[in-house]
Amino acid sequence: MPAKKYIEAFSMRQQVAIVVVAAAVVAGLFVPAVYGTTNEPADTVAVVEVEGPVNAALADDVETELTEVRNNDSVGAVVLKIDTSGGQPVASERMYKSVQRTSDEMPVIASVQDISASGGYYAMAPADDIYVLPTSTVGSIGLNAPAPSSSPPAEGPSGPDKTGSNEIEQWAQQQTLADTFVDAMMAERGDEFEMSREEVAHADVYLGTEAIHNGFADEIGSLDEAVHEAAERANMRTYEVDTRETGMDGGLPILIQTDDELVAVYSNDPGYADIEPMPFAYVYDGAVPHIDTIERFAADDVEAAVDATDATGGEDATDDEANGTEESDGTDDVPSLSREVSP
Amino acid sequence: MSRAMTLAVAFVATIALILGGAAGIGYLTADGADSPPDLENDHYLDEELISDGTPGEADVTMSSTGPAQTVLIDAGAADGAMPVDPLALLGLGADGAADRDVRPLVNALIENGHEVRIHTPDPDAAQRPPADGEPTALGADLAEADAFVTFRTEYAEEEVEDIEVFVENDGHVLLASDASAEFDGPGAASLDSALGVTTHPGYVYNMEEHDLNYQRVYAEPDIDSPITRDVDRVVFQSATPVGASTTQGTLRPIDGSQLSTTRESTEEPLLVHQGNVVIAGDSAFMSPENAQRVDNDVLIGNLADFLVENDRDAGTQPPEGDADPPSEPVPPEGELPDDGLPEEEPPG
Repeated sequence: MPAKKYIEAFSMRQQVAIVVVAAAVVAGLFVPAVYGTTNEPADTVAVVEVEGPVNAALADDVETELTEVRNNDSVGAVVLKIDTSGGQPVASERMYKSVQRTSDEMPVIASVQDISASGGYYAMAPADDIYVLPTSTVGSIGLNAPAPSSSPPAEGPSGPDKTGSNEIEQWAQQQTLADTFVDAMMAERGDEFEMSREEVAHADVYLGTEAIHNGFADEIGSLDEAVHEAAERANMRTYEVDTRETGMDGGLPILIQTDDELVAVYSNDPGYADIEPMPFAYVYDGAVPHIDTIERFAADDVEAAVDATDATGGEDATDDEANGTEESDGTDDVPSLSREVSP
Repeated sequence: MSRAMTLAVAFVATIALILGGAAGIGYLTADGADSPPDLENDHYLDEELISDGTPGEADVTMSSTGPAQTVLIDAGAADGAMPVDPLALLGLGADGAADRDVRPLVNALIENGHEVRIHTPDPDAAQRPPADGEPTALGADLAEADAFVTFRTEYAEEEVEDIEVFVENDGHVLLASDASAEFDGPGAASLDSALGVTTHPGYVYNMEEHDLNYQRVYAEPDIDSPITRDVDRVVFQSATPVGASTTQGTLRPIDGSQLSTTRESTEEPLLVHQGNVVIAGDSAFMSPENAQRVDNDVLIGNLADFLVENDRDAGTQPPEGDADPPSEPVPPEGELPDDGLPEEEPPG
């Protein structure tokens, strides 16, 4: 056979050399893939969504995503896509710490969509830069809380502070909660803010156009521009975008103001377990509807329900529904904590 | 080993060596999961961050040693919508105050031998005005009182007249208003006018120095006066500025205070003493908790003294005696009244 003749023309050593060279060529084709598997080059910008009311479920997801991002070598930069008016203090702090840690390891850009206020602003503050759109809303650095009030003694608890503290002690706790927030923001962006700590603590909100001048934001830009900037800071010549949704699987809660307090409602037809009072909140309440407003817009639905009940002859139920519609203070439906209305 | 086997081994060994090397180098140079960065958040560790919630202590004392006086207190009602149980509460609603809101003042008065009466507003008074010549329920209560403390801002016209007569006849009045009063109904203008005092829309706040909340502002006296005797500083909460044409003593907010409606610095007083009237722009400064803050207890004692140190003689002075005031001459029988028309004979 001609092939056999060719092979026998080489010595054994020559044959081995040829095989080794051939193997090296073949292996060379797979080296990039193998090397990339164990040492993936960072070519991805992760866009982590932080949207809706800030609560424990959102913080869980954001922490999980950012932890994964930090441990994923293919991700070289993060953009926080923010659209929230805030929420629970602890959830805000958890996200703040997670963003802070991520920002320590890679470029992090916050891209504000409609609003990033109060607890939302807290969460994104450690980002390297804050991008806003001209009419985005940012700010509201402060605490929402009802004015402490004394209540008649509750008999039975094991200690005087078990079911309610002293008014002055409550005022002090609320001031500490507010100062914790303000101090953290001064630590993160005190050099950027073009105003004193007292002015920051006014808890005002600013449009994007104003925020880039007073230090509450850094750049006017869209999400795409924020992603591009993040990629550039990570020295990516080409990059992919990996969007990571966060928040509850079952839908986000709705925040509602009552005359007395703020509540998070987790269902359109809530039972007792679906309503969560929020006595302390880092929330911009200008973005939270009052229960009167919701009732006004839902009046047609209520009337339809009343009519339907009428048609079935449920007189008792009809009376209850009708009364419920007219009593617009909405405070009977939720646990009560007094809340001062600022004049 | 056959030749073919040798070549196969060489082939596989070469590939394994190269790819294994690539994998090994990649693994060794990979970033991997680094240990968490050591992040310093000193702003969370600052001890000054923790506000002092020590409630404090109060010692309300009176210096007045005069005879026993009767002090009438009107703590308001629930928007006139429902009668208030005077045993449970003195009042409810936006411009009302609960028993405990005035208890430090009330206790000081009682401990010093004075009588305290509660005026419970009739929620239906507006629908049933008193007949001509009859006093209002408030007027009847004021007739027996030497001093009047009120947390209400809205009164019927006849009641305002009774209060005005009461003040003109040496009765002392303490009016405790607050910033929310201006959001309720027609407002306090007629009562303010009768008492010669003013209130300004908005509340005073201080972002630089305050008592645990920006709306709990410190106020200090600007001149020595009986009302502010031994008072260095008091706390008012969500207080509205007040004023009067002439003042004998005022408490003004400290430097850094601002008015909510203007966002400008303000020195407008939060408590003013003018003649027989003291008006405070806060209805909560006498509560037990607030009495324990700085010198609020001293101020409450001074206000108690102000209430009982009056020249009024409830037995002889209007409003009770205004239908037949002893100071005015009684026209002789048959003489025409001022309008020159004979009095109509009563029917029947």
